[in-house]
Amino acid sequence: MKDTIVAGAYLCDEETVRVVCTEGPERVRELIAMGASFDYGEDGNLHLVREGGHSHRRIVHAADMTGKEIERALLKSVVNNPNIFVFEHHFAIDLLTFQDGSDITCVGLDTLNTETLEVVRFLSKVTLLASGGAGHIYPKTTNPLVATGDGIAMAHRAQAVISNMEFVQFHPTALADEGLPTKPSKPRENAFLISEAVRGDGGILYNLGMERFMPLYDERAELAPRDVVARSIDDQLKKRNEKYVLLDISHKPKAEILSHFPNIASMCLQYGLDITRHPIPVVPAAHYICGGVRAGLEGETNVKGLYVAGEVACTGLHGANRLASNSLLEALVFARRAVQPSIDIMKSSSLDITASNFWPHPIVPFSLGSDITGKIGSVTRELRKELQSIMWNYVGIVRSTMRLETAEQKICKLEDKWEEYLFQHGWKPTMVVPETCEMRNLFCSAKLVVSSALSRHESRGLHYTVDFPHLEESERLPTVISPSSHVNSTWSSRQLHKQPMYQ
Amino acid sequence: MTTSSLPRLLSTVSNPAPYLSRSEPLTRSISNSVSRLLCSYSTQQHRQNTVTEQEPAPSLSQENKRTQEEEQEHHHDDDDEDGELVNKETGEVGGPKGPEPTRYGDWERNGRCYDF
Repeated sequence: MKDTIVAGAYLCDEETVRVVCTEGPERVRELIAMGASFDYGEDGNLHLVREGGHSHRRIVHAADMTGKEIERALLKSVVNNPNIFVFEHHFAIDLLTFQDGSDITCVGLDTLNTETLEVVRFLSKVTLLASGGAGHIYPKTTNPLVATGDGIAMAHRAQAVISNMEFVQFHPTALADEGLPTKPSKPRENAFLISEAVRGDGGILYNLGMERFMPLYDERAELAPRDVVARSIDDQLKKRNEKYVLLDISHKPKAEILSHFPNIASMCLQYGLDITRHPIPVVPAAHYICGGVRAGLEGETNVKGLYVAGEVACTGLHGANRLASNSLLEALVFARRAVQPSIDIMKSSSLDITASNFWPHPIVPFSLGSDITGKIGSVTRELRKELQSIMWNYVGIVRSTMRLETAEQKICKLEDKWEEYLFQHGWKPTMVVPETCEMRNLFCSAKLVVSSALSRHESRGLHYTVDFPHLEESERLPTVISPSSHVNSTWSSRQLHKQPMYQ
Repeated sequence: MTTSSLPRLLSTVSNPAPYLSRSEPLTRSISNSVSRLLCSYSTQQHRQNTVTEQEPAPSLSQENKRTQEEEQEHHHDDDDEDGELVNKETGEVGGPKGPEPTRYGDWERNGRCYDF
C-alpha cells in the first residue's frame, strides 16, 4: 500500500489501494487456476521480482511477457466458455443511454462490424468498458494502434464523470525512428523502449548539439529516476526545438555492448546504426494514462449500468503516477468486483428488445461514394498527425499554462477544421467509419487531458508545470470533469444519436 | 451510481461540487466544468517539498556490484534434473539467463525494456 501511495504522490484513494492490495493475490491465484503460467522458484512458489518503486519482491511474471500470457490464458478461457460470445472486429461507436429522472442509464451500445461494414446495435442491461488507454493522442507511444481513447470518449459523451486525465506516463527513451540512418519503411506500431539498463551501464544522454544535459537537471545525471530523465529530455527537446536526443553507449567495449544489449544492437543495425560506434536516437513515448472514467469500488460509474475496469478507469489506485505492474492488478480486481453488481442489475432491470429503435442508428457512408470517403480518410489521417503533434509540443511532459492554453486553442481550431471538412463533403452526423470514429475519440481524449492539466495548479507525479512547479497541499485532490452541457459542443463531444438534428 | 456507492463518494467529499449533492440531479445545469473533490486521506504523513521522482535509482555502489555479477552470469544458472534452468541466486526455475531483468528498476531483456 505504501509503495503505491508514495508512487502516486499521495493522490491515491486509500480505500481503493487497500482493496487492490488485499484482493490482488486471490485474483492472481484465479488466473493461475484458469491456466496462466507464471514463473516459479525452486522452492515451488511463484518467483517474485522487485520492480522500480517496490520495496519488496512481489512481482509475479511470465518471462518477459506477463501481459501477453494473462491475455492468452483469459482468451482461451473465454473461447471455451459457452456463455460468452465474442464479436470480433466490432468497433464500439457510442453508448446508448437515456435519462430516467435524475439518472442516466446505459443500456447498450452501437458498434460497427469493420469487416462487413454493418452497424450492429447491442442492447444490454449492464455494460463494462475495458477499452484501455489513449496513447495515440501522442505521436510516439508504446500502445497498440487501437488505443485511441475510445472508452474514455464514449463514456464522456454518455455523461460519465472523467478524472485525472492530466497524469500521462511516458517512458523516457524509446527508439526514435527519425534518427536512424535508414528509416523503417512503415511507421512502427509500438515503440521500442530502450531499457534503463543502458543508462545504468554507463550510457550518456546528449542533445543534438552533443552536449551532455542530464547534469544540468539532476546531480545523479543519467542515473536519475526515469521521470526526471523524461522531463529533462522533454525540456531539451522543447528548448532546442528538436525531435530526439542521443543515448550513447559506444564508449564501452564493443564485446560488452553486444553481449548486454543484443536486442538493441540488432534492431538498430537493421536500420543502418551501429551502436558500438554511434549514439542511439531516443525520444519519450506515451505509455499509460492514469486517469479515465471515474469508478467507485465496484467499478461503477455515475451512469447506471455502466462499469469500467483497467486503463480506461480511474479508480483512485494510481493517483498521480502508476506503480509498476499495478495496472494489470487493478484490471483484475475491479473486473471481479463488478460481477455481483452486474448480476443484481440483470435481475432487476426491465430492459427489452423493443427499446432498440429508441435511438437513431449510425449509418455507413456508402452514399458519399468512394472518392469523397477516400478524401475524408486522407484528411483525417493528416489531421490526426497534427493533433498528435500539438499534444507532444504543447501537452508534453514539461508543461506551462501558456502552452496548455495554446494547445486548447489549436485543438479547438483543428477540430472545427476537421468537422467543417467532413460536413462540407456531405458527411451526416450519424455516419461512421472507423477512422472518423477514432478521430472523434482522439479529439475528445486530448481535450480532456488539456483541460485537466490546466486545472491542476501544482506539479504532482506525472503532471509537471513550470508555472506551478511545486506540490501544493490544497491541490491534493483528484481532477474531476463532470458531464458537459450540449451548448456549443462539437460533433466529437456528443453521442451520435444525440446530434442536434434529432432533438 | 448505485445507491450503495453514493454514500462512499459523499463521505469523502467535504466540499461537494453541486452536481454531486443528492438534491441536484446530474443532468440539470451542467456546464463543462472541471471541479475538485476532496479526497480524504488518513495515512499521508510526509510532506514533499519538491516535485519528486517516483522511485529512487539503485545506488551507484549497487550498480558496480551488479555489473560484476553480470560478468559471471554464466555461473548463476544450473540445470536441474529436468534440464530446466535454475537460477542459483534467486532459485527461479526456467527463468531468463543472464542478469536479473529488474536490476535497474524496469523489466529489461537484452537492452529492450518490456515493462516499467
